[in-house]
Amino acid sequence: MSIQTQFTGSTSLKVTPFHKRTSVLNHSQEWRRWSGYLSATTYDLTHDVEYYSIRTKAALLDITPLHKYIIKGSDAGIFLDRLVTRNIKVCKIGQVMYTPWCDEDGKQIDDGTVQHLSENRFRLTSAEPNMEWLTHNAAGLEVDISEDSEVTASLALQGPSSRAILNEVADENIDQLKFFWLTERWIGDIPVTISRTGYTGDLGYELWTPKENALTLWDRLMEAGAPFGITPTGLHALDMARIEASLILLDVDYISAQHAAIDLRKSSPFELGLGWTVKLKKKDFIGRTALENDHRRGTEWQLRGIEIEWEPLETLYRKIGLPPQLPGMAWRTSTPLYSGNEQVGYATSGCWSPLLKKYIALAHLKTEYAKEGTPVQFEVKVEHFRKTTSARVVKTPFYNPERKRTCP
Amino acid sequence: MKSFDTIVIGGGVNGLITAAFLGKAGNKVVLLEKGKSVGGLASTEQFAPGFHCNSVFDSVPWINSVLSTDLDLESHGFRFDDADTALSTPGTEGKTLSISPDTEATSRSIAQFSDRDAEKWPGFCEKISMLTDFLEPLYGITPPPIPELDLTSLLSMKPMIKPVRKHGRQNLVELLRILPMTMLELLDEWFESEPLRGTVAASGIRHLNQGPMAVGTVFNFLHHHVGSESICPVRFVSGGTGQLTDALQSAAETAGVEVRTKAEVSSVMLQNRQATGITLADGEQLTAGAVVSALDPQSTFHLVGTQNLTPRFRRRVKNIKFRGATARVHFGLKSLPQFDSLNEKALKSIVSISPSLSYVESSSDAAKYGQVSQEPWIEFSLPSLRESSFAPLGKHVLSATVQYVPYHLRGMDNATARQKLRNSVVAVLETHALGIADLIEHEQMLTPNDLESKFGLTEGNINHGEMMLDQFFFMRPTIDTAQYSTPIKNLYLCGPGTHPGGGLHGMNGLNAAQLVLKGN
Amino acid sequence: MPVDRKYDAIVIGGGHNGLTTAAYLARDGKKVLLLERRHVLGGAAVTEEIFPGFKFSVCSYVVSLLKPNIIRDLQLSRFGLELVPLESTFTPLEGDYLIRCADNDLTRQELYRHSPNDAEAYNKFGQTMSQIGMAVRPILNTMAPDPTKLGFSGARTLMDLGRHFRSLGSDKFEQLAKLMTMSSADFLDEWFEFEPLKATMSASGIIGTFMGPKSPGSAYVMLHHYMGEIDGVFRAWGFQRGGTGAVSMAIARSAEHFGATIMTEADVSKIITRNGHATGVALENGDEFEAQVVVSGLDPKRTFLNLVDASDLPEDFIQSVKNFRIRGSSGKVNLALDGLPDFTCLPGDGPHLSGAISISPDFDYIEKAYDDAKHGSFSKRPYIDIVLPSVLDPDMSPPGKHVMSCFVQYAPYDITGGWDDSKREAFGDTVVNALARFAPNIKDIILHRQVLTPWDIENTFGLTEGNIFHGELALQQLFFLRPVVKWADYRTPVRKLYQCGSGTHPGGGITGAPGEMAAKKILKEWR
Repeated sequence: MSIQTQFTGSTSLKVTPFHKRTSVLNHSQEWRRWSGYLSATTYDLTHDVEYYSIRTKAALLDITPLHKYIIKGSDAGIFLDRLVTRNIKVCKIGQVMYTPWCDEDGKQIDDGTVQHLSENRFRLTSAEPNMEWLTHNAAGLEVDISEDSEVTASLALQGPSSRAILNEVADENIDQLKFFWLTERWIGDIPVTISRTGYTGDLGYELWTPKENALTLWDRLMEAGAPFGITPTGLHALDMARIEASLILLDVDYISAQHAAIDLRKSSPFELGLGWTVKLKKKDFIGRTALENDHRRGTEWQLRGIEIEWEPLETLYRKIGLPPQLPGMAWRTSTPLYSGNEQVGYATSGCWSPLLKKYIALAHLKTEYAKEGTPVQFEVKVEHFRKTTSARVVKTPFYNPERKRTCP
Repeated sequence: MKSFDTIVIGGGVNGLITAAFLGKAGNKVVLLEKGKSVGGLASTEQFAPGFHCNSVFDSVPWINSVLSTDLDLESHGFRFDDADTALSTPGTEGKTLSISPDTEATSRSIAQFSDRDAEKWPGFCEKISMLTDFLEPLYGITPPPIPELDLTSLLSMKPMIKPVRKHGRQNLVELLRILPMTMLELLDEWFESEPLRGTVAASGIRHLNQGPMAVGTVFNFLHHHVGSESICPVRFVSGGTGQLTDALQSAAETAGVEVRTKAEVSSVMLQNRQATGITLADGEQLTAGAVVSALDPQSTFHLVGTQNLTPRFRRRVKNIKFRGATARVHFGLKSLPQFDSLNEKALKSIVSISPSLSYVESSSDAAKYGQVSQEPWIEFSLPSLRESSFAPLGKHVLSATVQYVPYHLRGMDNATARQKLRNSVVAVLETHALGIADLIEHEQMLTPNDLESKFGLTEGNINHGEMMLDQFFFMRPTIDTAQYSTPIKNLYLCGPGTHPGGGLHGMNGLNAAQLVLKGN
Repeated sequence: MPVDRKYDAIVIGGGHNGLTTAAYLARDGKKVLLLERRHVLGGAAVTEEIFPGFKFSVCSYVVSLLKPNIIRDLQLSRFGLELVPLESTFTPLEGDYLIRCADNDLTRQELYRHSPNDAEAYNKFGQTMSQIGMAVRPILNTMAPDPTKLGFSGARTLMDLGRHFRSLGSDKFEQLAKLMTMSSADFLDEWFEFEPLKATMSASGIIGTFMGPKSPGSAYVMLHHYMGEIDGVFRAWGFQRGGTGAVSMAIARSAEHFGATIMTEADVSKIITRNGHATGVALENGDEFEAQVVVSGLDPKRTFLNLVDASDLPEDFIQSVKNFRIRGSSGKVNLALDGLPDFTCLPGDGPHLSGAISISPDFDYIEKAYDDAKHGSFSKRPYIDIVLPSVLDPDMSPPGKHVMSCFVQYAPYDITGGWDDSKREAFGDTVVNALARFAPNIKDIILHRQVLTPWDIENTFGLTEGNIFHGELALQQLFFLRPVVKWADYRTPVRKLYQCGSGTHPGGGITGAPGEMAAKKILKEWR
């Protein structure tokens, strides 16, 4: 029953080096903009197959639109150490660190990974363009910062079978590649940097290669991955996986201090559940003084995971004769949270986790309501009418499989 | 490691004043000067065997009287020489315009060109003096932090009440109206004769990268008139401008200040964002409870290290506008040149080549495109006529301030700019004193690039930052350092880059010293 | 039509501000007469069919700043206000171009091509400007106090402003202080590096002024133009369908709807006063009308130096009006075209023709254009802001043909030797040559050409010295200093005579703000 129609069209948006493949595979013709690129939201007509491939098989995602910078020079390490909140001095060659970075008021600008590629050479990934901020702060240091976004193509291969697929294609086995480390491998005659990182909270890898190699790499992975059920995966599925993994998203769960119109919209890493990344023992880094204050005084807000309880939700819907209407996809509308009559927070993104069978969300809560187990009321629209239903603060990540960090 | 209460970096007028006042207050102070002697822009030096010149400033229009009395500068050998001072401008048909403190005489001189203007002159003088009455007390206060004004900082504005009482609120509003005007607009409201318009307008462009048709030139004009009794004021220091800094050095040393010359600071030492001392170029380290820099803000923070500044502050420092456009020229002359229309009295004082406002404006055009003015505005004097010691017997020195020579040159190097500067200056002088070119025995050309390397002035800006409205009062040098303190604790600024700006009036040094004392 | 001789209020001048005042007064139930010298309404905001089939927004050509509350209060959309957004700003260059459009991603992509730094800075800049614009907007809506004798309400106004500034925080306040004092070139240099971008953006800082991009003070004018861009949204700039005159016509219809009487070809020669009170006006043809209140929408020089008897005014006031700077600096060239211009750097039709086209390749280009003007001649290579209204609104021209509006700077009013017919034509040729440098086919497709020098603008539209803002937007001519200190609240030394034109606070542009605020002041004082 498969009647195939070929789509042709034109776009003024940018397309990634994988577009020749992804555009053919995108049966739903659903695209979203990501950093000015055309990016597939789902390849299949529905996104659940893609979601399950992340958790049960292997999902292949085109993550080229991520912003990437190469930072090198004798002061590269010092520079990054001053820039970000984590201690880059302890980041060994071959290691990767997830870290936020802040303005001098300690408000978060962006978050991403720092890859220590070789002696005095790093790659920084970010959600938004950061070139101006980087160069401004590099003044007075021996650092060369270059834009890598247009040079390097990147793919994420995520899911329990991802290691097996890579072992199939790489010149050398990657079994011993640890969580948040990277390695250089050849895939056929293509040099590829493989980092054991991802945005799904599962076993997974990200692959970085000069964009000329993009199609060859894609084809090789799809071919070798076929027996393992490799599935091209779009942003809808990714969004659900990252909520399950409690990974925050810029412009959804927080707003960059660089373009927040008002101070109220800015957040410090302590407010975003990233206090663990702020290394106050470091002598100096941008925002240190303010963050020290945050640490000492505590912050007004905390980002937490909440779970919307099933029974009350079911009761609420049963009253009007419906089963609970669950979101089929991750949502991103700010949703109020109450305690009694007082609004004590707001959820910024959430989804029904098909794996956990739980309705989960990421939420900003006033600190006094942020303790694990605290009950809050979640606003839900039941047939056009606003109701509230019970939820409670839970531990995150919601889903954290052991295979994420282990080696065989 | 030697230890002091205060280290002052830079031995110009302001550095010396800060050091002297801190010394007088009982602080143990060392002043560090890079050059062979103190003086900075206010020095007198030998530029060729037997030929001396005032390096940058020939005239010192205003020194705050607090300085001369509190430091008793006269006893240290400082004296004004006010005989026959006037600003002269050769006009057409051999007529010379002469502006002097004598209002009546000036009116008579103006009448050669326009009776109407002559009649209006006294009113103009009164108006300007009224307007500067408002600025003078403003220059003596530390700018309040704006916009976060609190009661204390509002109270610090108290000295402003006096002029408001004296002249009325209406005139304060008049100041607000006139401050952002262009010299063209101001002069259009008053005068018609071109030599007068040109010469008064030139007072508004001094050391600016702008012509008299630019907004802010009236502000700069008023700035040069604060504290002075007359329009286009000329005042000489007896024995040369360097006598002022010599006297200040002597006063400072009397107050117990250790003055070290040939002591170049290579960096400011920091500990936890606090200045703890300095390191000299030879590696010696000195510690102190406070470091006060008389250098311009950019040079100062260069000593701190750009990487030690917070991103926001770094942006602010980077955005300070310097863009020097003034050149200095010194000629050693074989004999006294013969000027068509200028008598010896005029030459003994200061002469401005500013035949019309549009002449001055046109000379500013080239600078916008990185070129040297072909017909520049020139203000010159022959100091050897006043001070015979400046030149060998029978010979003379001609020193000129020339605008515009841009710092940012396009399509030429500094050597070419220097050559072009020489050509234009000589060509203009030739039209007033035929044959002067052949009298030149020695010469020194200082373009903004040269001023930068000679005096450590960023971009050769004599005012340590443009004197424009966007860099005035609570914005000078940046919105968060206008109170002489800096984001680096215990590091202070006291140079012309701070409020109230450039000149030899010494207010910056005085205000800063008071603040440092309060901080201690 | 028989006309009454007695009114509650007479408004002189049928420009958009006069019409706005008339409409607001009528809406309040006053019996209003509006008198317009020309046969058409609109003043500088006028549409005329200059050549058969070709309609031109002869003078003012884009609408962005018209205050939304005026549109609501006067129900302008009901009376024909229809704005079509401009789609892009296109700056042709030698061998390249810069195009900014409504879409963020595309603009970023295009800017990135020229400068990654600028691509990043662009949004932040727009945001900063719109926030500062938002901060300044309350000032624009504030009745300017008389600072020489601060009463209770005046002091409160100043205190409110103080509090308002404090709430900005030091970062934004710093930017505001810079915008008030700097040149647009210096201000933009702090943000961007790509010259054509900076030059094109700086152009909004010189429009209607006698300044170059490097003249301090031009940054404020840039801000003034940003004020219309709510949220920094570029799309706020728009055309009125049927030309700018249709905006005026919508306000006129609204005024009539509320009961105002509008007379055209009624040239007021004198404001009649009795005992220091305005009591009516006399027309050139000898007709006289009486009113309790007279409002002038003309510029201050016209109003006080031509219409009011000098004996009714204090001498220092007359001197201040004479000192009011009102140098005209712009000209307008309207072209009827046989087709579309074809740009060498981006040939053919495309979205770049449905927005603004800016001849502003770099700062030097505009600054040199200013130098020419400053020294008394029109620019040899002028800055030109071009729109092709017929691309968005086909009714403006016959099918397949087009109208092109070129706003040109600099064309100084005081040109050495004065303007005459041959200089006007030479000016027109200069503009066409400047266009031909980037779109060589232009010379072949011109069917008709109308050239307006500042002299023509003065003679036709009654704008003194051809200044489109009724007085330069310089710091010393803003807020409580506009047009004359003590008289910045629409009142004048002649009792019952008010002003409502662009020469009053908050200044020029099709905002309607002076007209609206004058009406409110008049109604407040009505006895």
